[in-house]
Amino acid sequence: MKHLMTSALALSMAAGMAQADGNGDEVTLQLQWVTQAQFAGYYVALENGFYEDEGLDVTIQPGGPDIAPPQVLAGGGADVMLNWMPSALAARERGLPVVNIAQPFARSGLMLTCWADTGISEPADLAGNTIGVWFFGNEYPFLSWMSQLGIATDGSEGGVTVLQQGFNVDPLLQRQADCISTMTYNEYGQVLDAGVSEDDLVTFKYEDQGVATLEDGMWVLEENLEDPDFVDRMARFVRASMRGWDWAEENPEDAAMIVLDYDETGAQTAAHQIRMMGEISLLTAGSDGRLDEAAYERTVATLLAGGSDPVITAQPEGAWTSVVTDMALGN
Amino acid sequence: MSVVANRGFAGLNPKIWMAAAACVAGFAYDWRVGLLLTIWFVAWGVNVVLSGQRSRAARLAVPVIFGVTLLVLWQISVRAFGVNQVILPAPSDIWTAIVQNVPILWADFMQTVVKGALSGYVIGAALAIGTAIAVDRSQFLQRGLLPVGNFIAALPIVGTAPILVMWFGFGWQSKAAVVVVMVFFPILVNAVAGLKATEAMQRDLMHTYAASYWQGLFKLRLPAALPFIFNGLKVCTTLALIGAIVAEFFGSPIVGMGFRIKTSFGTLELAMVWAEIAVSAVAGSGLYGLVALAERRMTFWHPSQQR
Amino acid sequence: MSDLTQTAPRSGLSLGLLNVARGALPVVVVVGLLLGIWLAAVGPMNFRLALDQASRGGADVVPATPQEQGQTGLIRLMLDNPSVLPAAYVFERPRLPRPQDVLIEMRDNTVGLARGCEWTGWGAEAENWTGFSDGCLRVVNNRRSLIFHAWKTLAPTLVGFAIGTGLGILLAVGIVHNRTMDLSVMPWAIASQTIPILAIAPMVIVVLNAVGVQGLLPKSLISSYLSFFPVVVGMVKGLRSPGAMELDLMRTYSGSGAQVFWKLRLPASLPYLFTSLKIGIAAALVGTIVAELPTGARFGLGARLLTGSYYGQTVQIWAALFTAAISAALLVWIIGAIERRVLTGMGLAR
Repeated sequence: MKHLMTSALALSMAAGMAQADGNGDEVTLQLQWVTQAQFAGYYVALENGFYEDEGLDVTIQPGGPDIAPPQVLAGGGADVMLNWMPSALAARERGLPVVNIAQPFARSGLMLTCWADTGISEPADLAGNTIGVWFFGNEYPFLSWMSQLGIATDGSEGGVTVLQQGFNVDPLLQRQADCISTMTYNEYGQVLDAGVSEDDLVTFKYEDQGVATLEDGMWVLEENLEDPDFVDRMARFVRASMRGWDWAEENPEDAAMIVLDYDETGAQTAAHQIRMMGEISLLTAGSDGRLDEAAYERTVATLLAGGSDPVITAQPEGAWTSVVTDMALGN
Repeated sequence: MSVVANRGFAGLNPKIWMAAAACVAGFAYDWRVGLLLTIWFVAWGVNVVLSGQRSRAARLAVPVIFGVTLLVLWQISVRAFGVNQVILPAPSDIWTAIVQNVPILWADFMQTVVKGALSGYVIGAALAIGTAIAVDRSQFLQRGLLPVGNFIAALPIVGTAPILVMWFGFGWQSKAAVVVVMVFFPILVNAVAGLKATEAMQRDLMHTYAASYWQGLFKLRLPAALPFIFNGLKVCTTLALIGAIVAEFFGSPIVGMGFRIKTSFGTLELAMVWAEIAVSAVAGSGLYGLVALAERRMTFWHPSQQR
Repeated sequence: MSDLTQTAPRSGLSLGLLNVARGALPVVVVVGLLLGIWLAAVGPMNFRLALDQASRGGADVVPATPQEQGQTGLIRLMLDNPSVLPAAYVFERPRLPRPQDVLIEMRDNTVGLARGCEWTGWGAEAENWTGFSDGCLRVVNNRRSLIFHAWKTLAPTLVGFAIGTGLGILLAVGIVHNRTMDLSVMPWAIASQTIPILAIAPMVIVVLNAVGVQGLLPKSLISSYLSFFPVVVGMVKGLRSPGAMELDLMRTYSGSGAQVFWKLRLPASLPYLFTSLKIGIAAALVGTIVAELPTGARFGLGARLLTGSYYGQTVQIWAALFTAAISAALLVWIIGAIERRVLTGMGLAR
């Protein structure tokens, strides 16, 4: 126990020193959620020494329910963060100039899962039902989608009743909501695990509805990109991370076990992480880390079309750069 | 004892010299630190002078000046040190947010404070006092119930809130339930202590009047228990408010102070977060003041109410 | 005072045990009653879920559609579908788990983690600095262990409690002796408690991380924020508790301000201090759990509560919840024991 405490103290001091001023070859990555296979590429790169091969000393900081990665970036607690594009673009508008340097996820995993017995069969049927929505930055795609469909979300007549739900599937199982937000790689599987068969459910994937937004991109502060040292470090980081993602796609089970090793809460299970890794591979497949400009434009268009409550009010300028990916992957 | 007493150097109190020295050192280090220190010491000096006065107005001015000084220091620090708005907004930004969002703030206030906190507070207090009266006759039950109540009160709200949301749904009912769980035990402990607070002579007097148990309860013991009960009620006003807000973090409709704080934080609208916090502080203090006022009215006979 | 009315104990051990039993009996009875009510309530609480599952599994239920089920009262549903009741008692994702399931989960995550535990002594077979094998130590250092997470929460709690108590006592001394502080600080100390710490904690953590303070200290600071207020209130009351007669007595002894403080005010405030300490340490534990959320929820009981919530492991939530309450009760009991020692030694025992 004593050793545990001293090593924990030493680790935290080392972590503190590691991210102190960001020179040298240290990189601190801020994840946007707790340690899980959603971030397998980075843990694989750490474990298999891909970062070491590039001469980098990387610290991965897990996120959680009360951590806003843009805020951590603003406070200097990390060099690079993962974030959904809507949330990062909104942060840009609020005065925090973050820039996308890489996009490992080519597709969105966000979906709406509904009970089939509510009679919902297409999006227009959603009106009049109770929908569970995550907030804290994840509500933007939903609000845009509802706005485009012309369905009110403020509780008025003919609209949907929106509930702020936590990150679990109980509101659906206990019928407090007719539909809930789920990710293909996490909560949807949990609903199935709870004994609900796929026939009992009706799902809408945001990708299929044309309202998907880009997720889990790598973002840094704009001012740091003026430092060539920083850009070089980021390029090496992106290169090693994409190597990690490639490895994870080819070895999903081993990747899941690596993630499990890094989970400090002891709450994750192998079965859950292996399934998550399988689903994540579907999202990263085909991406080499470069941001696809067409997908970026689609995301921005979705956000601007948010009607009376747009997520962003103006076309973002300079919100992404290919400087890092060009250096990392060559042209 | 005058602050500007004629001891120390050049006829000024040594404390004033120390304060001046601190300001100079601050200026030498960084002009902003020096500015902050100067404002702090000047305001403190004003307060020292005011505290020596006898008038009620002067005594009320002291905490107001203290609070205003803190706000001024906050504003100057944020602007002078260039703190980003997404980490800490300045009071002026927060005021702008308040003024621009009055309807939203009002709707949140009604949902959280009135529907959630107040209803839970009233239900919890009624349950606690009722339980205290119910176990009043049985020493056995009291000795058993208090440790158990202690255990339940020790359950962290971060754990009980999701469970209660699961049981009572996303509406104000689950928030009221969380508040009930939080305020039940402190009020119970105070009520039980209060019911024991009568002296033997007072109880004997009721006995000589051939008062039944219930008459004795309502005419002597409950009024005598009021100071204790009010003590518990005062402590629980803040608990009730915090409980309702925190419970909303774990599931709510799209209105409510906890909801607004959480979602505004997620979209980095920190000024709105602080606006809600300001409303919470005002509401909590207001509630505390109301209970204190009721206490003064109803327990005017208690020594603590007589200055 | 109670010592004067009791007779001296005769045979220490047996009488001591009798006293313990007499003290414990009401608690045992009440706990037993509550456990019975809990167990009985499991079925009705999970009934709707079990009914839903049964109807999707193809069984005949009355009424048939979920919409109608939602509108029918619970008693009616239970009377119409008695065959579902046993399933409701053993439901997998329950709204209310059975008490024995919670206890089993707690056991599995503490002593149940030991693998090949044996006494090795400190000789040639010693595997570590305790006398036990490494398999035994899994109970306290495995990531799944509730004891491990409890310690991760308790460490910042104790530090935060110490900081909060120290600060609270200093503030109370200042308030009692300095009129300006009394008038200016006290109202704001009260107002500070109306600010929901869950809202401020993330910002505090980010700011502290920005200046390089990481690890234990940010959580301790948030924990101390919650524990300093009861100490301030209690100490102020306690330091002001000596009456006019006692203060006059000190004046007749020509006691200086410092002597009055150390010899009269401080000892008189100890009973109030200990009461506040008991409230303060429970508040410090809650504060640490709250502070675990914005620091990544990686370990600690708060993290355990949350991950149980994310992955729908209801029983895990309950197990972590009870561990937190037991830890708080343990801490309060320790302070109570210290209180009894100190106060009886000073003759202030109640």
